[in-house]
Amino acid sequence: MSDTPILQVENLSKFFPVQRGLLRRTVGHVKAVNDVSFAVNKGECLGLVGESGCGKTTVARCLLRLVEPDQGRILLHGEQQTFDIASASRKEMLDVRRQMQIIFQDPFSSLDPRWRVTDVIAEPLMAQKVGRGEAGRRVLDILPTVGLGPHFADRFPHELSGGERQRVSIARALIVSPPLVVADEPVSALDVSVRSQIINLLLDLQSQMNLTYVFIAHDLSIVKHISHRIAVMYLGRLVELGTTQQVFEECKHPYTKALLASVLIPDPTHREQSYVLEGEVPSPLNPPSGCHFSTRCPFAQEQCSAEEPDLRDMGGGHWVRCHFAEELDLSEEIFAPQFDKPAASN
Amino acid sequence: MPNSQPILEVHDLHVHFKMLAGIVRAVDGVDFTVERGRCLGIVGESGCGKSVTARSILRLLPSSDTSGQILYHPDGDGQPIDLVSLDAKGDAIRAIRGKDIAMIFQEPMTSLTPVYTIGEQIMESIRQHQNLTEEEAQELAISMLNKVGIPDAERRFGDYPHQMSGGMRQRVMIAIALCCEPRVLIADEPTTALDVTIQAQILRLIRSLQQDLDMSVIMITHDLAVIAQLADFVVVMYLGQMAEKAPVVELFQDPKHPYTQALLRSIVRPDTPPREQLHSISGSVPDPRNAPSGCRFRNRCPSVHDRCVEDPPVVEFGPQHSATCWLYVDD
Repeated sequence: MSDTPILQVENLSKFFPVQRGLLRRTVGHVKAVNDVSFAVNKGECLGLVGESGCGKTTVARCLLRLVEPDQGRILLHGEQQTFDIASASRKEMLDVRRQMQIIFQDPFSSLDPRWRVTDVIAEPLMAQKVGRGEAGRRVLDILPTVGLGPHFADRFPHELSGGERQRVSIARALIVSPPLVVADEPVSALDVSVRSQIINLLLDLQSQMNLTYVFIAHDLSIVKHISHRIAVMYLGRLVELGTTQQVFEECKHPYTKALLASVLIPDPTHREQSYVLEGEVPSPLNPPSGCHFSTRCPFAQEQCSAEEPDLRDMGGGHWVRCHFAEELDLSEEIFAPQFDKPAASN
Repeated sequence: MPNSQPILEVHDLHVHFKMLAGIVRAVDGVDFTVERGRCLGIVGESGCGKSVTARSILRLLPSSDTSGQILYHPDGDGQPIDLVSLDAKGDAIRAIRGKDIAMIFQEPMTSLTPVYTIGEQIMESIRQHQNLTEEEAQELAISMLNKVGIPDAERRFGDYPHQMSGGMRQRVMIAIALCCEPRVLIADEPTTALDVTIQAQILRLIRSLQQDLDMSVIMITHDLAVIAQLADFVVVMYLGQMAEKAPVVELFQDPKHPYTQALLRSIVRPDTPPREQLHSISGSVPDPRNAPSGCRFRNRCPSVHDRCVEDPPVVEFGPQHSATCWLYVDD
């Protein structure tokens, strides 16, 4: 891991128009991603977390230009040159995609059912105009790297289990040896016993191939396990960014605290969970004024609904978007117990 | 303990589906007891038979071959009713379904009908089981919506499901399930489709309603953390068979079956060292159509040995703790 950034996202925004009526008039915009900036350093894993609708998947798709960003720059520092993905030409995108690939969430819908595994994995090479024979050889080379035998090459996706399919997706992403991989919820669709295999594989590959990950997930314990740094999103905005230690142990944003407190601990003797967040994520079509979290925040004051806080540096690379980040004491358990103790077995 | 009488007893339950490709033994010999006012957790991965077990209690399965006993003990001194012997479409089960035993399904998006308002859907359940006028039923429905924490319940009463968020829809499902004050609530992965903060709200709601109404809960999930937080007693299933059952603390502190042990080791805990390799179970859950004979976990089991090709025995480790494994049997 180094401090040299491989990817710099600056003021990225993506607004989806909402159209109504017969004439499809645009009646508003969903601000899916709103002025998001962060950097990813070479060899690190940046975790991106938040609830559904917070914009984390849209960020991932913007990074690869699978959706067109509306504003901002996405700088990819390649081996020879730096690309601005947001404004790159089709030809430049071909180079970009050799440096950056994505693993999708659902291995049941991200593999074409009519393609054999070998064709699925070779597709990025075809796009890069690599010859068929060479591509076939490289597929056979990469299969053992992701823990699949050579006999998998001729199978169809329906013959594979969820874990095997996700290994195929990983192989497809790694076949062009990209230094940067975006993983969008790569384990949420998998069974518990298979999930740890895939996490182990991702960790192994990272150290073997010196990969950089942008790891998107809603399961915080997994994000904590795999990430060096974590970015928390709420309603299209980045609300906290810092090292895993800073975000998990010294979080300064009440939303991060609420997210962490809702993680269920797999220990029946620890049931005094606290701080359950009331209410739901507001509609991104009409986000609350001022701080977007002010409607659910237990510490909200007048200032919070009046003006939107900036993302401020708290020192040591710890960024927080809250007016009262310095004053709030989030270390204590603030709310009433969530569950009682388990009944003693009789 | 004041509540230690059973309300539901499942004995030697087998559910087999006849398919073109052969017989699928979705549930193969499951035994457990649900006590009054307690929460039983059934945990397992996809294909382990946990949902089939739940649905067979309410006889919600399409043509299947169900054998065994599911004894429901109604309040008072009534005779236990064997739900397996009832006609799946008859009046007897319909009087129990939704009234005495209610169920919440996994997908709040698909288990409400889009063409009726949520108020109508709650009232349907109320008027099926209780002899109330339309106005009384509406009043009860609104009070249920309030109870499950839907703000502005009178206005939301006329909403259609598509106007609500996932968490709200799951609350509506819970309101439908609870409007007749059931004795047993079966919750089949009630929070899997929801975000973490909403999951915490829903679980807290189920827990507090369980205590208020002195209701029994069967919580079906793949998530060991949900089990740890809610269940009093746990059944671990693997490919249709019961691997282990135990009181919750005992299961987490002293698991006996190699599958339970491996599952508990493979999850990330707050104190797991970051970025270290996790324990994992090799392979993946086989297709239930070609499950291995004998112990069904044997092709993934780290402690597999010769005897595992035969059906494993149930070994008792205490009055309530047992595991189905050859490991604890001396030659």
